[in-house]
Amino acid sequence: MRFFLKNWVPFLAVGAAFATVPFMGLPAFYESFLYLVFHWIVLATSWNLLSGYSGYFSFGHAAFFGAGVYGTAVLAGKLGWPFLATLPVAAAVPALLGVGLGAVVFRLPALRGELFALITLALMFVFATIVLNTPLDGGPGVYMSNVAVPALAPSPSGSFYLMALVLALATVGIAYSVYRARFGSGLFAIHDDEDVAEVMGVPTYRYKLAALALSCGLAGLAGGIHSVFVSYVTVGETFSGWMALNVILMAALGGTRHWAGPAVGATAVTIMTFYFTTSDYAIAGRALVGLIFIVVILFMPNGLLGRFAVRKPLATQASAAAVVQTNAVQEKTEEPILVVRGAKKAFKGVQALAGVDLEVRRGEILGLVGPNGSGKSTLINVVSGHYPIDGGSMVFEGRELAGEAPHRVARSGIARTYQIPRPFAHLSVLENVALPPMFGQVAMDRARAESEAWRWLEFTNLSAKANRLPGELNLHERKFLELARALASRPKLIFLDEVLSGLTPSEIDGAIRTIRAIRDQGATVVFVEHVMRAVMELTDRVVVLTNGRSIAQGAPREVMRDQQVIDAYLGTARA
Amino acid sequence: MPSLTLLGQSILSGVFIGALYGLLGLGLTLSWGLLRQINLAHFALVFLGAYLNYQLAAAGLDPLLTLAVTAPAFFVLGVALHWLLARYSVSPLNTLLVTFGFMVMIESLIQWVWTADFRRMETHYGNVRWKVGELYVPLPELLTLIIAVVLASAVWATLRYTDLGKAMRAASEDAPVAAAFGVNEKLLALLLSGACAAFAAVAGICLALSHTMAPAQIYAWIGVVFAAVMIGGLGNPLGPLVAGIFIGVSEALTMALIAPAWAPLVSFTLLIAFLLFRPQRVAA
Amino acid sequence: MLEARQLRAGYGAAPAVWDVSLDVGEGDLVVVVGPNGAGKTTLINALAGLHRMESGSLRFAGRDISSLPAHRFCDVGIALVPEGRRLFTGMSVRENLEIGAYRGAAKAHREASLQRVIARFPMLGERLGQLAGTLSGGQQQMLAIGRALMAQPRLLLLDEPSLGLAPTIVMEMFRIIREVNQEGVAVLLVEQNVAMALDLARRAYVLEEGRIVAQGAPQDLASQPHIQRAYLGH
Repeated sequence: MRFFLKNWVPFLAVGAAFATVPFMGLPAFYESFLYLVFHWIVLATSWNLLSGYSGYFSFGHAAFFGAGVYGTAVLAGKLGWPFLATLPVAAAVPALLGVGLGAVVFRLPALRGELFALITLALMFVFATIVLNTPLDGGPGVYMSNVAVPALAPSPSGSFYLMALVLALATVGIAYSVYRARFGSGLFAIHDDEDVAEVMGVPTYRYKLAALALSCGLAGLAGGIHSVFVSYVTVGETFSGWMALNVILMAALGGTRHWAGPAVGATAVTIMTFYFTTSDYAIAGRALVGLIFIVVILFMPNGLLGRFAVRKPLATQASAAAVVQTNAVQEKTEEPILVVRGAKKAFKGVQALAGVDLEVRRGEILGLVGPNGSGKSTLINVVSGHYPIDGGSMVFEGRELAGEAPHRVARSGIARTYQIPRPFAHLSVLENVALPPMFGQVAMDRARAESEAWRWLEFTNLSAKANRLPGELNLHERKFLELARALASRPKLIFLDEVLSGLTPSEIDGAIRTIRAIRDQGATVVFVEHVMRAVMELTDRVVVLTNGRSIAQGAPREVMRDQQVIDAYLGTARA
Repeated sequence: MPSLTLLGQSILSGVFIGALYGLLGLGLTLSWGLLRQINLAHFALVFLGAYLNYQLAAAGLDPLLTLAVTAPAFFVLGVALHWLLARYSVSPLNTLLVTFGFMVMIESLIQWVWTADFRRMETHYGNVRWKVGELYVPLPELLTLIIAVVLASAVWATLRYTDLGKAMRAASEDAPVAAAFGVNEKLLALLLSGACAAFAAVAGICLALSHTMAPAQIYAWIGVVFAAVMIGGLGNPLGPLVAGIFIGVSEALTMALIAPAWAPLVSFTLLIAFLLFRPQRVAA
Repeated sequence: MLEARQLRAGYGAAPAVWDVSLDVGEGDLVVVVGPNGAGKTTLINALAGLHRMESGSLRFAGRDISSLPAHRFCDVGIALVPEGRRLFTGMSVRENLEIGAYRGAAKAHREASLQRVIARFPMLGERLGQLAGTLSGGQQQMLAIGRALMAQPRLLLLDEPSLGLAPTIVMEMFRIIREVNQEGVAVLLVEQNVAMALDLARRAYVLEEGRIVAQGAPQDLASQPHIQRAYLGH
């Protein structure tokens, strides 16, 4: 109840206040102007749901808007349907088209960034051509003046105003909900590092499709309403490249990482350009908008609301889940938790893994050592699903991992750190650590996940920096952030990739204690390291990799005295 | 089923339009492939060049001579653009956005000076066409084809065989290491960006010779030229030409055999098919 | 010949390398060893001009090169074999070698240099037209060294040349480095393969966490318990 009062009541109050405008007897001009503001708020905010949150910049918003325009234009203008009945179609058709496009394009990792932008740009032109050359439009445009406008207000312009107001409130409300929820966390993670997000358990494919569907559906609704507002619909006016620029500018100006950013930007730009479009300087106005766009992209990449880019935490340190104190310490066992047989992986002619066999036993700390380039990081990458394996099998607790989507591997209880830390750069330290609990084995909501995250921040001594961005941490802290993030999903098996490199001797001592505590709390640890002192002190068993194969396994002291291992590791001196 | 002559004429016109796609795509593929700069403003520059040609032709100057004015001027613009993008370390995606802004500005300029009306450049050889067998070969289009082939081949040969070209290719792959061996990669990047803009001036002339122009038309070329660039392989000067001709002929055949209205979909369909089956060829 | 004094270089707030002073004399063969993350690559990149020094001085053959732009380092006679080879993978073996001799002075003798490199690495001579990206790891390393030799350097910098290579190839490569040094080219080598590096060098520095912690003759360093423990764990 408190949540509702705190967040939604002000929202609805604002909406109610605006809703009284048509009944105040003002000239129609005000209603029409505000209609335009709401119209652009919807378009910019809906664009931002996919493109701002997830980073998949779409240049094709006009395509989906146009699909909605023509949905209503054809059904109401040509086939005589009642206007309100066309709106579900105006929303559904673009949403389905978007999902169709996304189902194909999102499967191809190569089509991110600029390629996605270009494909969506071409899409607009394709839709325009189809509409122009079929009975949907055919060329002469569609007259909508016969369509009855629902009488929601004393005048037609008032009715449009109200419809646009409702849609704007709904759109911004959706943007806000997504922003606060797990869905938003997942999208922001995809924005910063999609591959890592996937490995942390975010179902990236599904989330991108959902965001795209929402984005297209809302744009389509705006289009449906707009078709009757303009009362004469043409292909040229509807599918305009100009709109793509406008929408991106509005969102970028306001701030793409904030739910209210596009709304702020839309209001600012609409007011600004209004002066130009109604005067003789329409063309100069367009050029000015282009210039502002350039300036914003170059100098204000975070937009006006950029200062608020980091989301407020939903849980405070006080609510940190208590550390479970038990006297029972997990012991190493003989039972295998992960069995790798014949793992093979090649990159562009380099055989990184040439048939690796190894076994990890539940409760042990296993050291994975070997010279640089021997395949240690690659092994971690294929087990965690970061790269698909070429051949061989990896069985975790009886389940074959080869061929599994990475986010499923995370869900089954495997976590890893990255040798060079890869935190989500625009998420706070707290949000970074809260991500795996949200999407891991126990899928928690954001508030609970953040409580869980606080616990791990305390464990790794990062509590003081919880609300900072990862870029503000030093190397040691960033390595521990990696560690906290990997631990936060309470994995059964955790891979630590060179967490100690670059640390001072006393920091290494502390890290050794921490790693032992991790095992004691119930995780099995595989530990890739060059710092031999740590390997000797910590590990129960050691596996040596060379040239993509495992050449020795056993107790650390014996393995490291094996001549073959010494040769591989240190290199033989010239005879 | 249309006659053989009609089919032949269609294919020929497809080749001609494809050559123009290739010429338009030349500057684009070089700056995207070698400089990581996706220059949407390239299209606006082409049109600006076309309009300038139109203006100077109206004053009596031969279009091919106006190149002496437009090419150096555009070269400077190209250098300035790259300087700006490098100075602010703009990411490839953001180069797309920034140049989009420039495109809108240039388009507004064009509309302000020449209005939104359609313009057609009149030259004394604009209407010349020859008859080869049963087929008509218009001179402006033929000129475009020749210019496109010569320019693309010259650029390809430069990149392939000259020291300068090899240095550019090395710098585009690994600029710091190229610099470690003496390649002044910053200067080369500026020169290359200038050259791409100069190529836009050339494309502008060819466009003006054979097409009517209106500011809104700028957008019509973006989809198909990008398709030609992507299918032809980024950074390959001959790529847009070969892919462009392939697309052009497909479009022409579609127009002749199915319906003219569907031609614009051809390039998009080909691109999607290409991306689905050979995506690795497209990534920069 | 090469004098670095109080060199400081890094990324953003945290310096990766600080207060580093070292010397390489004419015809010298110097090795810098150290664990992962010690700053070896940052150091060698700073010496090659690839990475801007934040403070300190760098002199080569009596000339101050601290503020020389990156593409001029080759002119004074310094050539780099980067970590991970960093060949121009889309270009052929021959073209990679030619880029090595891009700078003015070396360009004049390009053909002669090419013949000498082929004589030293016959395997490259057999593959001149092949794309560099399709070579094996060992072949790529040889190409990277050949490319640097094409620049006719007075000082050759090598960053972890043994990375990811089989021991026999590493031995062959070190033999070649010794030969090149005997022909008068000074060599500074950064390495993880401690035993072979110390065997090769005349002088060695140990770099740990961005600072030089030891220097001297290799045999003295090798017997120090410090190094034994750091690399072997016992």
